[in-house]
Amino acid sequence: MSEDYQTTLELQHEIEQWYYREARLLDGREYKKWLELCAPEIRYIVPGRGNPLVDNARRGEEDMISVERELEGRDSDGLPIRDESLPYLMLRVERAYKPNSWSENPPARTRRIVGNIEVMGVEGPAISVTSAFHLHWARPGSATCFYAGQRRDVLQRAEETVPGDLKLTRREVVLDLANIEVPTLGLFL
Amino acid sequence: MRSRIADVVNTDATLISRKAWSDPHVYALEKKGIFGKSWLFLAHESQIPNPGDFVQAYMCETPILVARGKAGGIHANINSCVHRGLPVCRADHGNAKSFVCPYHSWNYSVEGKLQAIPQERHVEGKVDKSKLGLKAVPRVESWNGMIFGSFDPEIEPLDQYLGDQRWYLDAFFERFENGIEFVGSPQRWVLNANWKLPMENQLGDVNHGPFLHAAVIPPEANAEVFDLGFSCVTEPGHGATFRLMPEDAPLESVAWGFEGMASLLSPDVHEYLREIQMRAEERVGPIRARMKGLTYGVYPNLSFLWSNTAFKVSHPRGPGKVEYWSWSVVPADAPDEFKRILRGNHTAFFGPGGLLEQEDSEAWTQQFLGSNIDFADDRPYFYGLGLGEEKPHDDLPGLVSVTANEFYARNFFLRWRDALMAVEER
Repeated sequence: MSEDYQTTLELQHEIEQWYYREARLLDGREYKKWLELCAPEIRYIVPGRGNPLVDNARRGEEDMISVERELEGRDSDGLPIRDESLPYLMLRVERAYKPNSWSENPPARTRRIVGNIEVMGVEGPAISVTSAFHLHWARPGSATCFYAGQRRDVLQRAEETVPGDLKLTRREVVLDLANIEVPTLGLFL
Repeated sequence: MRSRIADVVNTDATLISRKAWSDPHVYALEKKGIFGKSWLFLAHESQIPNPGDFVQAYMCETPILVARGKAGGIHANINSCVHRGLPVCRADHGNAKSFVCPYHSWNYSVEGKLQAIPQERHVEGKVDKSKLGLKAVPRVESWNGMIFGSFDPEIEPLDQYLGDQRWYLDAFFERFENGIEFVGSPQRWVLNANWKLPMENQLGDVNHGPFLHAAVIPPEANAEVFDLGFSCVTEPGHGATFRLMPEDAPLESVAWGFEGMASLLSPDVHEYLREIQMRAEERVGPIRARMKGLTYGVYPNLSFLWSNTAFKVSHPRGPGKVEYWSWSVVPADAPDEFKRILRGNHTAFFGPGGLLEQEDSEAWTQQFLGSNIDFADDRPYFYGLGLGEEKPHDDLPGLVSVTANEFYARNFFLRWRDALMAVEER
């Protein structure tokens, strides 16, 4: 998929609508409906974000300070914050509706703005989309927090499908936190 | 008014004052009497296999660089330049030829020796660089690849300090023919809690499980902890909890990892873990082969979460803040894809995004709030459950009891009390 993929107005509109709906479901705590947006083979990854040694040999090059160098545990190469398949996500959704999920009792009030939605490429039924989010998190009795990050998603279109019927098959969340001082990274980002 | 330690913990440690958790004066004594005088976990040798490899660590609030030297030895130095105090390395980990302070480029070897002062050639007097290296941690020793450091030059050898706790730790380590490996860098996150509660949580407190974690842990798993669970204390401050499965228990119910999602999700991983358990008896003996681990603690601030294979260190940042570090541990010779799946047993349930640990974090931060409230000083925390019920056991070292007996915590606080009274001004 090339850097300069040319999307169409129709595709861009369809993708944006998907993201707006997803944000509404997550902030509305409608996690069961959100789960229906996930494909059975989904992989949901939040890589760790370290502070690697600067490589002198790369001085003068953009690569010297690339974001990619900071990401840990995307594959088998270190420790991520999270690396989950559908059963784990199901467990999280199930937990959310139990009265003894104490860290979310009372639950946090979240509001996220998803923007910079960019179709990076289309390969058969797979659509690669990059977006950015700002998330306001406020929970009674706790500090109010701000999360920011980038999502690198793959949405999959079923063979026979209606417009907007896209499933999330991969999400990689690049968190823009320097130190993890937020009370939880267990939420759906 | 300063708290007197004799009033903070009573003589049998059944009552612990709220001040133990919240008083800055108590914390200052902890730095001196505990973190200045104990063996503190730094890193695992698998993280720095090659000369020049280094990782950052902490001893209490002091930043430490742990590096593999050119001759293969392990060196731990305080990460602070002797010229103006800046850190000489900012990266979490990596491989370096030398460490250079950004301010005036004073240059240190990975072993911590001062190699060059760029300004020196412009002045007449020469400096004796051999006296100006990074401040070395006076004692560094390893056991089973686990590297510890101590600020106390007179401290007993690490082997002796760990004592019979090694028998319990080896029940895990020795299961793997080629040892274990720490997966990459630890997760690190900051909580508004006192450092001792995360420690106590792993030291022996498996009995919060059925209550705090009822949303995730099924009742049958909890019943096993009540019916077959043991809590063992080899030395005050150390602790080990596990289930000792019956001799006729099916292999699937004993094996490490079978409780986690990893083996449910991958038949190949399931088979791999099964083979490890099949060799357990020959590797660790009949008793330890039946041990199905829960949580351990090593005094003062290292924990081992056998059930989800993580080592954790609770680094204090003042009385009300802790930087918690958590490493995933996997068998060193597992295929990469298995390591990836196995680390999920840790990251999905523990760490900053963990299904279980988010509840623990909530409890720890709420306890710190409770430790700061006024007009409740005459209601110290009650630590008296099961007082005096622990006994020696034919097959297990140390004192042994059911998991509901809080003797592991009383023992920790008795050692804590002695350590603080030894440095307290009278």
